[in-house]
Amino acid sequence: MGRYVVRRLLQMIPVFVGATLLIFLMVNVMGDPIAGLCGERRCDPATAAQLKREFGLDKPVWQQYLTYMGNVFTGDFGTAFNGQEVTELMSTAFPVTIRLTLIAILFEIVIGITLGVVTGLRRGRPVDSGVLLLTLVVISVPTFVTGLLLQLLLGVKWGWIRPSVSSEAPFDELILPGLVLASVSLAYVTRLTRTSIAENRRSDYVRTAVAKGLPRHRVVVRHLLRNSLIPVVTFIGADIGFLMGGAIVTERIFNIHGVGYQLYQGILRQNTQTVVGFVTVLVLVFLVANLVVDLLYAVLDPRIRYA
Amino acid sequence: MPDQHHEPEHAVAGTGMGGTMDLGVDEAETLERRPTGPDGTGPQGRPRSLWSDAWRDLRRNPVFIVSGLVILFLVLISLWPSAIASGSPLACDLSKAQQGSSAGHPFGFDGQGCDVYTRTVYGARTSVAVGVLATLGVAVLGSVLGALAGYFGGIWDSVLSRITDVFFAIPVVLGGLVLLSVITSNTVWPVIGFIVLLGWPQLSRIARGAVITAKQNDYVQAARALGASHSRLMLRHIAPNAVAPVIVVATIALGTYIALEATLSYLGVGLKPPSVSWGIDISAASPYIRNAPHALLWPSGALAVTVLAFIMLGDAVRDALDPKLR
Amino acid sequence: MLLEVRDLHVEFRTRDGVAKAVNGVSYGVDASETLAVLGESGSGKSVTAQAVMGILDMPPGRITGGEVVFRGRDLLQLKEDERRKVRGAEMAMIFQDALSSLNPVLTVGDQLGEMFTVHRGMSRKDARAKAVELMDRVRIPAARERVKQYPHQFSGGMRQRIMIAMALALEPALIIADEPTTALDVTVQAQVMDLLADLQREYHMGLILITHDLGVVADVADRIAVMYAGRIVESAPVHDIYKAPAHPYTRGLLESIPRLDLKGRELYAIKGLPPNLTQIPPGCAFHPRCPLARDVCRTDEPPLYEVSATRGSACHFWRECLDG
Repeated sequence: MGRYVVRRLLQMIPVFVGATLLIFLMVNVMGDPIAGLCGERRCDPATAAQLKREFGLDKPVWQQYLTYMGNVFTGDFGTAFNGQEVTELMSTAFPVTIRLTLIAILFEIVIGITLGVVTGLRRGRPVDSGVLLLTLVVISVPTFVTGLLLQLLLGVKWGWIRPSVSSEAPFDELILPGLVLASVSLAYVTRLTRTSIAENRRSDYVRTAVAKGLPRHRVVVRHLLRNSLIPVVTFIGADIGFLMGGAIVTERIFNIHGVGYQLYQGILRQNTQTVVGFVTVLVLVFLVANLVVDLLYAVLDPRIRYA
Repeated sequence: MPDQHHEPEHAVAGTGMGGTMDLGVDEAETLERRPTGPDGTGPQGRPRSLWSDAWRDLRRNPVFIVSGLVILFLVLISLWPSAIASGSPLACDLSKAQQGSSAGHPFGFDGQGCDVYTRTVYGARTSVAVGVLATLGVAVLGSVLGALAGYFGGIWDSVLSRITDVFFAIPVVLGGLVLLSVITSNTVWPVIGFIVLLGWPQLSRIARGAVITAKQNDYVQAARALGASHSRLMLRHIAPNAVAPVIVVATIALGTYIALEATLSYLGVGLKPPSVSWGIDISAASPYIRNAPHALLWPSGALAVTVLAFIMLGDAVRDALDPKLR
Repeated sequence: MLLEVRDLHVEFRTRDGVAKAVNGVSYGVDASETLAVLGESGSGKSVTAQAVMGILDMPPGRITGGEVVFRGRDLLQLKEDERRKVRGAEMAMIFQDALSSLNPVLTVGDQLGEMFTVHRGMSRKDARAKAVELMDRVRIPAARERVKQYPHQFSGGMRQRIMIAMALALEPALIIADEPTTALDVTVQAQVMDLLADLQREYHMGLILITHDLGVVADVADRIAVMYAGRIVESAPVHDIYKAPAHPYTRGLLESIPRLDLKGRELYAIKGLPPNLTQIPPGCAFHPRCPLARDVCRTDEPPLYEVSATRGSACHFWRECLDG
């Protein structure tokens, strides 16, 4: 187990370097990192050259990358061009997005797994077909459409919620955005749970459990559910990273000042330091979430633990 | 699923330890298993091939028929939009802005006074073009790279696995924003290029898994022992058996690529006005959501139906090719 | 009789039509007796057993007729909750593939102990002690340590012993073993069969041994019922059958076993394939493959003719067959 963790950590390094380098290159090579500095006008050549020197942009890209990563590991994510520390932006943005993600994950667990179990046990019945169709619709309608429609209905037409979220973004205001953010994953969790339950329901060990004369609820909870939820739990774990990175659309619709909002602003204003900084953290979150999922997998499935 | 890069199977594939959890492997394996009767015996009727069996199922499946007809219709109107929409999508009259439906303008007008019906019809062209071309690109690039890695294994396989890991670690919408925000060209090509760039790893994993499974079949081993060349093995023995999961995943992906284009256009980095795209129209309509909800609802509906049609088609094909869950 | 199955009918709804898996099967087994049910896969031997146990998947399966009389009551008439209390406690089942039949994420101790906590209301601690005791009884070494392990950590033979221990846990009156040794190495097969036979003698249990392997049967069975296409085609004491089969299908099965004394002779194989259960041939279901088939076999379904007081054969020409 210990060796396995070490191996996984080592495997993370090239992925981390690759992903951050890719983003670093995209931002620095394809974009113009000093374009946002001189306000609306283009910088005159002399100022541009001076600025480039100041930010170390005249050096080769790989050297810039190394310098940047060196700084990152001492906790210095640089300064946005408006003078604000990137870490300061992060400290206000991340708590909001983490709250949003938490709500989304809760929706996935509570609604997704419940629906999946119910449909998996009643495969082919009307309730199953209905839910299955609903999940397809949810998966098909892009999140930004779902978000806008729910905002229109619940916020504007019926006035149940505030259409946009205040800057503090407390939990209760994030419930609808959390549901919108979760929607697609929610549908996947439902389908995955359903498939897993339906598959395992015909498995030999469930037949054994029935042949042992166990009551139905015990067969379902202890034997069927325990095995069926292994892939679901790992999916939800891996989803944490995707949700945080995917919150851009949801945050834009509901005007939530979280990570997605900062990134969106940063990209539109070509604010290099902000973009690279936030993406680096997101990639790290994604990788750690996946590592945790792998370990969780081993905890849940003894066949892997003792392999 | 515009801001998702993964389907659950892939999340599982990415986190399961070793290749056994791979969707591709699972899928290809189940494709080998034919329906069994009670006692686990196969029916003794005439032997049926996977494809003819699947086709027989599909023809009877209403989901397949409906989604197929919707897609056919979409393709036709994206080729000849003027057949059902007489005006130009760019002919707008500000004085009619936000008006509801009227004679000759069944969907009403948007915030710029453009005819929503005409724009919705013309929007199909962008979506279908992006969806089809991006899927072709992803399918070709992804399955070739994935198949080579799966077939030759070893160092190529490891390198490819690490590269796909890198791409999976970058959130799609984020990558789109970063890459496309610096591109000024207002055509479908940058969007297609971006989707191919970030989409191929998904297909390569599927193709890799399918090829690895097909490679282990006895008859492939036999052909290899008889001295068949690599290219012959690949084309005659492995490809026909590995292609089913690739087709299924590609069909579903096509729908998600259409949604992705709309999302990027909604965020302002995909296509930009004066191009015509559902994403642009939805984005433009969202400020007027109180006064002119129709301008938002029609393109949203068209987008949703289109994506749904492709995903349902893929789902139906998957069910037909995978008898396990019948 | 401990268990008597009377005229049992089971169908399956499939995409290709209704598969008639069991068509009027009757057999019985007494305490301390071993009945071997023989047949190819698809003959309905496992489905019959599942119907007896009450673990048939319904749907797609459906019991369309018959009785399963166990200790004087018809199990098919019991409510599911009463039926459940019979399962595991009064009759138990051993499956072919112990690896897939044991729950991969629970320790063997949990899975054995469950029998006692659920059926007997024991505490978990007492149940654990019972589990160790059971593992000792089926001769698993170091039971106290291994009780905490998971199924995949055991060898195939040891896993099957755990299945046996689980079936034995509540000392049931009847055990149904469905191909208990098929998945095992030949050397281990004998050990597991010996264990099963020993335990049967010790507890005076009735045993239904489902198999397609005639070699296993000869040593342990008292009676044999041969099944084909959902019917019993021959039923007889084991020695009678080995001496002279009274049904051409049984003869075919016997002749297809490799025998040392006939070394060098070509091995016999029954021609053709077992029938599709959605389209069972009219008359005798075996006639398309039968060397003795005449016109009457294509039209008249043979009843189970009485060959002797203890023996029956569903062949119009059983005398001919008996004479070889």
